[in-house]
Amino acid sequence: MIPLRRAPMECLRPMHTRYIFLLFAVVVVLIMVVATTVIQRRERTEFLQADADRILDDQRLAPKALARGRSVFMANCAGCHGANGRGSTATGTPDLTDQDFLYGTGRVGEIESIVLHGIRSGDDKGWDLAWMPAYGKPVPYAREKLPSLSPGEIEQLTGYLRALNGAVGEDPTAVSAGSLLFQQHGGCWDCHGRDAQGDTAIGAPNLSDGRWLRGDGSRRDISRIIREGLHGVSPAFRGRLDPVNARAVAVYVASLHARKENK
Amino acid sequence: MNSLAGETKAKLRTWWRPDVHNERRSLTLCALAAVLGLAIAGVGLFNARGTRVAGVPPEDAAVVNRSPILLSDYVVQLQALYNVSPSQATPDQKRATLNSMIREELYVQRGIELGLQNDFIEIRNSLVNAVEAQQEIDANATVPTEQELRDFYQKHLQNFQPEGLMTVTDFVAPDLGSAQRAVIAVRSGKDLPSAMAADGLRSSGATDDGEEFYFAAEQHLGSTLFAIAKRLHDGAVSDPIVDGGRVHVLAMRNNRQPVPEDYSEARDQVLASYRTEEIARMRAGTDRFLRERADVQIAKGLQ
Repeated sequence: MIPLRRAPMECLRPMHTRYIFLLFAVVVVLIMVVATTVIQRRERTEFLQADADRILDDQRLAPKALARGRSVFMANCAGCHGANGRGSTATGTPDLTDQDFLYGTGRVGEIESIVLHGIRSGDDKGWDLAWMPAYGKPVPYAREKLPSLSPGEIEQLTGYLRALNGAVGEDPTAVSAGSLLFQQHGGCWDCHGRDAQGDTAIGAPNLSDGRWLRGDGSRRDISRIIREGLHGVSPAFRGRLDPVNARAVAVYVASLHARKENK
Repeated sequence: MNSLAGETKAKLRTWWRPDVHNERRSLTLCALAAVLGLAIAGVGLFNARGTRVAGVPPEDAAVVNRSPILLSDYVVQLQALYNVSPSQATPDQKRATLNSMIREELYVQRGIELGLQNDFIEIRNSLVNAVEAQQEIDANATVPTEQELRDFYQKHLQNFQPEGLMTVTDFVAPDLGSAQRAVIAVRSGKDLPSAMAADGLRSSGATDDGEEFYFAAEQHLGSTLFAIAKRLHDGAVSDPIVDGGRVHVLAMRNNRQPVPEDYSEARDQVLASYRTEEIARMRAGTDRFLRERADVQIAKGLQ
């Protein structure tokens, strides 16, 4: 066995002092990284485990969530809903700043669910209970047997809906026939309700409030929707967005609704 | 004895000295490490519990054998079961909800262990649907550029035209001669109802509801008569047509051929069709990939 020779005092020479300094620097950096990670993790946990519906009222969580949510919105949602979130009646993209909710009641939790699982996105946990049938097609609705309507019947329904929204000059006979169609043969009441006020549980819009998802309520626009149907898609961002980003964007969208309400 | 003990001690001291090269020590430590590694692996292998994770990630409500139960799902479940948010829920409600979700996860995992997908048609269908749904999710998340959509629209223009419309009357004649006379009379300027009545032609009643979509007219007239009606201009009458043992004459009042909608008008449908095609493309790709990757052997006589 060959003993290795070592002089103990050598470790205090300048070269070794440099190594010690380097080691110290590495340890400091490591401590900083660990501390930052711990703080971030704590913030992440706090944000994700908070009651989503109360974040907007939390003075500590809300500002960060809104800032983060806005950048996520711009990157993922603004393409369809617009940078101001007001959507487009030309493409049937909902306005996210009004109080006219197509699905749910505008709670952060509900919006977060839409962000994660989408609407008609293919995700089993997403919203996909009903489509607006295309009554001017041989098979208006794939999931349920519904009758096609004739051009005349579509005209009558259009007249009825326009009259319901305060349009004057509609032919009373057509309006009455349209009302009958709405309540009976057409099956419209099944989703939109007998009073045509819609159902946010299935995404059926209110047809009596003068607000239109697609078009401006003109005869042409209404009859086109009845003829061609409507079934917008909101993609599922589960797996694409980090859970924190998904929640942050939900908080931001909820704030768009809230801001308008405050005005 | 003392000298022997002293010698052993000295040997051990030397044996442990890190600055002294000792091959036997290296081998011994290596063997010890291997035994320790094997012991840990054995405990892990034969331990009934799944591998534990170091805590529950913040986005999860629980982790069951490394399968997460998402916090968002838990919140939705609370809402569905009790109509409350987490801050409104009582501890009992929270516990019951989480327990039911953990139970479900355990049963799903047990089902996979038992290979139930081989026995239950519903499970097989659900798995197939779930894989297809994944493709749908991916396709729906694609955001094509405006130019891609316009190109798609130009390529599939015929898909973006609403149904054509026609108001047509199908007259039935007593015989071919009277049909020919009626047609000549109308074409020479006589008004339609009286010309038809004069030669004994009557409406078949098939299209008496007024304006119809093309598909409805085809259903009412049948494919032969509809093919002829489609080509008639406003105010025109067809030549006599023998179809189904009867002689028909078609009188077209109004024929609106299908015309593709403008891109701006049809954009939502263009996007929907684009995505439908994307889904079909992804499915075909997945089918191909799975086939190529799989070892599929088919019994003799069934190839």
